[in-house]
Formats: sequence, C-alpha cells, structure tokens
Amino acid sequence: MNWISRLGYVFREGFLQVLRSGGLSVAVIIIVAATLLQLSLFLGISRVLDHAFASTNQKLEMAVFLSASATRSETEHLQSVLSQDERVQSAQLVTKEQALQEFRRDPAIDQMVRALGENPLTDSFTLILKPETADQVDALATALKKEAGVEDVSYGKGQWEAVSNLARVIRWSGLIMASVVFLTALFIVANTLTLALWARREDMIAMVRLGAPTWMRWGPYLCEGIFQGFFGAFLVMVFLEAVRRFAGQALQRYGGFDILATLPFQEWLSLYLNLIVIGAVLGLLGAFWALQKKWVKELL
Amino acid sequence: MLIQGFHLFQMDETGLPLLDDVYFSFPEGSYTVLLSENVLAATAFLKILAGEKRPAAGTLRIGHQDPFAFTPSQRNRWLSDVGMVFSDFKLFSDRSIEENILFTLRAKGFWDEDSLSAVDILLSKAGLAHKSQMRPSELTDGENQLVMALRAMIFRPRLLVADDPFQNVEGEAFGLLFKFLRELNKTGTTIVLSARQTAFLDEVKKSGEDLAIRWIQLDGGKLYPLEEKVS
Repeated sequence: MNWISRLGYVFREGFLQVLRSGGLSVAVIIIVAATLLQLSLFLGISRVLDHAFASTNQKLEMAVFLSASATRSETEHLQSVLSQDERVQSAQLVTKEQALQEFRRDPAIDQMVRALGENPLTDSFTLILKPETADQVDALATALKKEAGVEDVSYGKGQWEAVSNLARVIRWSGLIMASVVFLTALFIVANTLTLALWARREDMIAMVRLGAPTWMRWGPYLCEGIFQGFFGAFLVMVFLEAVRRFAGQALQRYGGFDILATLPFQEWLSLYLNLIVIGAVLGLLGAFWALQKKWVKELL
Repeated sequence: MLIQGFHLFQMDETGLPLLDDVYFSFPEGSYTVLLSENVLAATAFLKILAGEKRPAAGTLRIGHQDPFAFTPSQRNRWLSDVGMVFSDFKLFSDRSIEENILFTLRAKGFWDEDSLSAVDILLSKAGLAHKSQMRPSELTDGENQLVMALRAMIFRPRLLVADDPFQNVEGEAFGLLFKFLRELNKTGTTIVLSARQTAFLDEVKKSGEDLAIRWIQLDGGKLYPLEEKVS
C-alpha cells in the first residue's frame, strides 16, 4: 500500500505547489487557457468548414457507366463492390431505359434519340460519396475503371480536386498553426515554471540534502504542471460550455455558426476531453522542460 | 560510522587556510564536539565530513568509503544514513514544523502510518507539540534551531553532523537538545558537532550534563584534543 501513499503524496504536493506558486501558477494557467482557446477556435473553424465542404460534396456525384456488353453478373458484382466500399455513401443503379427517359425530358435530345431509332445509352451507377473521402475520389475512380463491365467513370474532377486541395491546405496550415501555437505556449509555460523553480531553489537543495529520492523531488513539480494545464483547460471548457448554452442560438442568426446549436453534445464532450488531455500534456511537458534546465539538474 | 581524515586542506574564498593538514579518526559511535571561535573553519570542516564540500586536498573516509566518489544514486543512499544541521540548511518555509520533520522520514523511506505519530511524540518531548502546525516563520530562532536538529535526528542516522546546533537554543531547550543528542549517541550514532567555544562550555557546565565526550579544538587550521580543558 506504500505506493498509494507515495502517489497520494505526489498529487497532494503537486496541488499544494500550484497554490504555493501563487501568481506564477495563475500566469501558467492563463497561458494554457489562451493556447487551448486558440486551438479550440481553430478546431471550431475547421468543423464549420468541414460542414460547408460536406454540403458541397454531397451535391457532387460520380457516375459509373457500364459497357453495352456488361453482363448481369458483372453488374451485380459491381453493385456488391460499391456497397462494400467505405468511401461510397450510396450507389443507385440507373438502367439505360431510365436514363433515356431522363434524357427525353429535353426536347432537342428527344429528337436526336428518335432519329437514331435505338437507345444509345448504357446502364450506369450514380454514386454519392462520403464527404470526408474527398481526397480519395481519384483513387476510387481509377479502381472502378478496372472493374469488369465498366466503360467509363465520370465525375467533376476539377471541382473535386479544388475542394480536396482546399481541404488539404486548410488542414495542413491548421496543423502547422496549431503546432506553432502549442510550441510557443510550451516555451512560455516552461520558462514560467522555471521561475517558480528558481523561487523554490532553497527547498530543492534541502530535498537533496535530506536524501529525498528522485521521484519525490521531481514528482510534485511534474504534477504541478499537470494540474496547471488541467485548470487552464477547465477554464476554456467552462467558457465554451457557456458559449454553447447561451450564445449558440444568438450566433446562429449570423450563419455558419449554426454548428454551435446543432452539433451533438457528444462531439462537444469529445472536444472537452481533448482539451483536458492537451492541457495536461502541455503542463507536463512544460514542467519536464523546466526540470531539464542545467541549473535545475545540478540542484536536483 | 568510522570517520577518518588524512592531510585535509581547505581554504576560504580569499585563499586563507581554514584547514591546514588536518588528520583525525572518529570511531564508530563516538560523540565529538568541535570547539572553535572560527565559524568559517568549523563549518568548512563539518561540510567536508557531511560530504557536502570537497576538500582542497587530502583524503576522507567515512565508513571506509570516499563520499566524494559516489554517483548521485550512491550518494542518495548514503544520505539516508546521515543527518545534518547547517545554518544554510533551512526548514521548508511553507510547511508546518510537523510536515518538515515528516518529510525527512518520507525521504528516508518511512511511509507507514506510525511516522506521523513518531513526529508528534518527538515534538511533544521537545515541548513543541502545541506548535506542530506552525510554520517556521512563526517560531523563535531557538525553536527553529531545535526543529532543525530534530529533523536530523528523527530517523536515527548512523552519522550526525551538526554545525552549532545549540545556536540560539537556551535554558530548558538547551538541556533537552543535549539530552536528545546523548540518547541518539547511545543508539550507536556517530556524532560530530561544532559549538562556539566559551558560550557552549558555560551552558554545558550549567546543565550539569555528563561530559564523557570527545572534545577537540580547531585553531589556526589545526585540530587539538581538549580532554584536559573540560575535565
């Protein structure tokens, strides 16, 4: 049971050190909160853009044209392949008769078909793809072209590429921005915690002279960082929850912000948990970085 | 722990000798009091014994080991047998005196529930039970000094090195601390402590304590035996 006492000691001391550090703790908590707020705003913007892309993507369809000689079994096989493909949201078989009827709504085309005297069209599948697979459309089209009985695959290639490129640019630039924000915050947190360590250097020396083991000397400081990160994340969580509950409907009027009101709570919960984890990791890494300073290592 | 020093030299920051070719042997379980009017020299000598400061030259053996050749983990293990009292070895200012002493026990690996009651019993014996939850800043200098000594003694170290532990400790507290040290010594702890010469001798004589202690004097960087002076 000793390890429980020891773990309890580390957590208790870590928490008490947050209180003992006073103003410096407040500084770290604010830095973590500001960072996480930026990250969560970025995540929110990404989410809004995802929604926007999703509604665009759903309007874009892919048509898979079968060859005139395609057999019934080839058609059935293709239908089975499409229904099992994770990128495909829905696949509807359009027979050449149905396609012809569709064409004949246009009088000019109707005249041309009459002149031909026979149905020049073939069976086809109309696919709607899942929005999140926008960047895989090209690969899907290439794969389908190789299927037996497939004559051609048609989709708005340029439009798809523009959308998927934009999505990729936004995701990558977002990731880079988030990383820069995180690293900057980490640097500031580490240096603020170094100041807190400097203020307690006499205690650190005393711990060494008392022969305290490494975990007893390092543990509370690392735990202090985790607590500070947690409190920073908690502040942001409270702020976002307040926005969700009270400002969501008001902002909905401005368009694009309807996500605040319509996003399921499950997704908010997942965001909050992510923020808590990121906050705690930020605090832990900051504290670890602070403990790596040369003078600290010499003392501890 | 047997402590032996051979040809130890130490200098102050300006290069003046504090220890000048000092050699000695303190047997295991002995109780040695170093009398000196030179505070810097006494502190330098004790810091060497505690393995805190390497001498400028010479060899030190504590329990047949060289404390300056330890790796950090070996030193940590070694420190679990060594108690220290130095004026720059302050108590934790943001913890109560009970927590300060308890921390020492924790650092030495005592995590059982009896640890806290051991601290309380010791504080009670020292007449500080009613102040156990106070911070060091709320205690007098003498009380703080007493707590620092208790912190160094509670885990019954094999070696206790104390730099003027009686500083500011007067009257009843002086007698108590003196008694604690004697009791600790009787359990086998080797004790080396320093004291300012005249004041300490006067106090010891007043307390009427048994003086079966090894007395030495540090003067001009040299150690001299002092049995004849205090008998």
